[in-house]
Amino acid sequence: MHKIIQRHQLSQRYSGLSFMGVPHRSDGEAHLKMETVDCNVCGSDELTLLAVGEDFEYRTSPDSFLAVRCQGCGLVYMRHRPHLSELGRIYPADYHAFNFSSKQFGLIYGVRRSLEAKRLLRACEGLGDYAKILDVGCGDGFHLQLLRDFGRSTWQAEGIDMSEHAVNAGRKQGLTIHHGTVQDSNLDPGTYDLALMIATIEHLDNPIEVLQSVRQLLKPGGRVVIVTDNTDTLDFKWSHQRHWGGYHFPRHWNLFSPQTIVQLALKVDMKVETLSTIVSPVNWVYSIRNFLDDWGAPHWLVNRFSLNSPVSLAIFTLFDMVHQKLGHGALLRVVLQRPD
Amino acid sequence: MNRSKKAPVAIVGGGPAGLTAAWFLHRNNIPFVLYEAGPKIAGLAASFHDPDGFTYDFGAHFINNRLAAAVGIGSQCRDVRYYGESVLVRGKTQSYPLGLMKSPRYVASALGNRIRPISRQTMHQNAATWFRSNYGDLLANEVAIPLLEAWSGAPAEELASAVGSKMQNTIFQTLMLRTASGLSRRAVGCGYSHEIPENPHVWHVYPEGGVGLLCTKLAEGLESHIRLESPVQKILVDRGRVVGIRSQDEEQSVSAIVSTAPCNILPRMIEGSDVLQPLAQLRYRPMVFVNLRLEGRNLLKDTVVWLPENHFTSFRLTETPISMPWLAPDGKTLITVDIGCEKGDRIWSMTDDALGELCIEELQEIIPDIRRRYQGCRVLRTPIAYPVYLNSYEETRVQLGQSIGIDGLYSIGRNGEFSHALMEDVYWRTQNKMRHVIEYVTSNPSLAYAQ
Repeated sequence: MHKIIQRHQLSQRYSGLSFMGVPHRSDGEAHLKMETVDCNVCGSDELTLLAVGEDFEYRTSPDSFLAVRCQGCGLVYMRHRPHLSELGRIYPADYHAFNFSSKQFGLIYGVRRSLEAKRLLRACEGLGDYAKILDVGCGDGFHLQLLRDFGRSTWQAEGIDMSEHAVNAGRKQGLTIHHGTVQDSNLDPGTYDLALMIATIEHLDNPIEVLQSVRQLLKPGGRVVIVTDNTDTLDFKWSHQRHWGGYHFPRHWNLFSPQTIVQLALKVDMKVETLSTIVSPVNWVYSIRNFLDDWGAPHWLVNRFSLNSPVSLAIFTLFDMVHQKLGHGALLRVVLQRPD
Repeated sequence: MNRSKKAPVAIVGGGPAGLTAAWFLHRNNIPFVLYEAGPKIAGLAASFHDPDGFTYDFGAHFINNRLAAAVGIGSQCRDVRYYGESVLVRGKTQSYPLGLMKSPRYVASALGNRIRPISRQTMHQNAATWFRSNYGDLLANEVAIPLLEAWSGAPAEELASAVGSKMQNTIFQTLMLRTASGLSRRAVGCGYSHEIPENPHVWHVYPEGGVGLLCTKLAEGLESHIRLESPVQKILVDRGRVVGIRSQDEEQSVSAIVSTAPCNILPRMIEGSDVLQPLAQLRYRPMVFVNLRLEGRNLLKDTVVWLPENHFTSFRLTETPISMPWLAPDGKTLITVDIGCEKGDRIWSMTDDALGELCIEELQEIIPDIRRRYQGCRVLRTPIAYPVYLNSYEETRVQLGQSIGIDGLYSIGRNGEFSHALMEDVYWRTQNKMRHVIEYVTSNPSLAYAQ
């Protein structure tokens, strides 16, 4: 049984304040500089409107955002999204949790760590003793730590992230983390055996460009493991008009289904080795929380649906296990291989 | 192809449709010039604010949160918490449409009509047969048809059935949207978007300062392409294709023309072709909007009260501050009285004071102490409030929806399309039409370097 709780989602939601109510932000009333974009995969501007949403979780701005489905390729994407210069606003200091620790989150931390470790080691099966692994969008290095603690000591694991805050936090743990983007990095091309893009691709302004860069860094035959929110789910069907947790307004810019992720692979000339879905309660819990919060439900009820509630987590994990069995788990997991 | 060397696309009119067209062309790097006859953009979408704190719009103006998000003004809009319509019949105000459906008389009549087989052909003969078939004789004759006739200024028998067939959500959709509105405490749109389905998460919002903000946002960064006080005199056509435009006695070569002008004046504007002549017969209904300034608030039972009984000169009253309290100062309100008329007739020619007096006199039946509350009025007149779908030119109207008949000429927006399209419809329809414009100007090599 595959289970995963998205790293960044856990980290952001366990940031201490967010689940107790939205923290006050001195700049939360100011408008974001926005830009309008066409489909990030096929470039078409023909679209079907899906949702208008707000930053329900962080309230980093009063803006509203438009999620659409591309009529060209089916990608779900954010049509009007914050300008790149606003990343500091939409990923506030309390976004990446550096306090996701066993001390604070006890049982949940332990469960997540062990599940993620299991999954990670499966992804690393077949790697040689001196394999090079790159975690793209590694955040504070959660997966790099797992590789260090549970992987082979001879593996060379590195991470790369745009957030200086996250990079510094990871480096303090003694991890090797590069600051910047894969496109602009001076990492050695053709030298990596495995790349990880876990809860990363949905945040990217240009997923094709990033994936092409990752492809260049891989050895021929090297693989990249992508884990991202799945739009081919029941909770998306139910709540895609506004509250779906996977929108994570305004931070998820590309959202995939099994069909659209395969198209992405074709675009960058990579072979789909495996495509499956995995279990996560996060989007379920946040779809309900966003709905309750948006329609003015009392706080005590809203707070029943957070990652601070083991009950809601447990219920929706079970719930999503059923959907995963039917092929519609909350997260997509795809392994792409660079052709020899 | 170097597009920058091409003759520009000319856009006629700087209202929501023209500016959406401009924004779309700009985004696609197509050169264009927008000609606006007036001293500023926004057209009928602009609001007027008086020094006493009242805001006047042409009708109850709001957009929805979906359009606001698409244009990027979501954070500058206020939520409309409630919006409702009622009908005053036989001295009783009943909510529309659900309240009317509670009346056993109307229900029995509607069911009777449903049971009697009626051919599709009969139903679509004209607007009267359409309403009777769909609503039942009683509701059609007492409510729908009198309103339609007052609104359009023509007998329902002379109007096309298309007037009705575009109008409504199903009863289930209406119930669902109304319930969502109550639970979410937002004025969920119901019947305000025909192009894209409505849902419980699309509600009315009002931009700061009025709907004109939409235009201001669309025009951001396009200032150098906009020519104000530049009415278009002629559209120049050569061998069935637009080649130029004349404004302020100057001619400019163009690759295409996108017009938001009322389509019935296009034949007069065209030089070099008479294929648009049939459009000259299309009629718009002139309207006078009498905005009464009044002491008090919530004087009407609902934001909009329809008046189907013909002893009222007006067919519709709107107390906008019930939905949008910020449109009038505290303790005061604004009731807009809509009166259909013809240009130059008695109503059209009355002074503002006389119109105010007429309205106060008639509305005493609904608000007995209205005279004591009355603090003056402001009147807005427009010769082109609504298109009138007469059966006599229905074929021409349908044809206009398919193609205008001159290469490179595109007629867009509410007036240009001769449609009842609402704000959000205009925005998305215009973008779809602009794709055709772009295809035309980029796929036709002879248009390159035409300047």
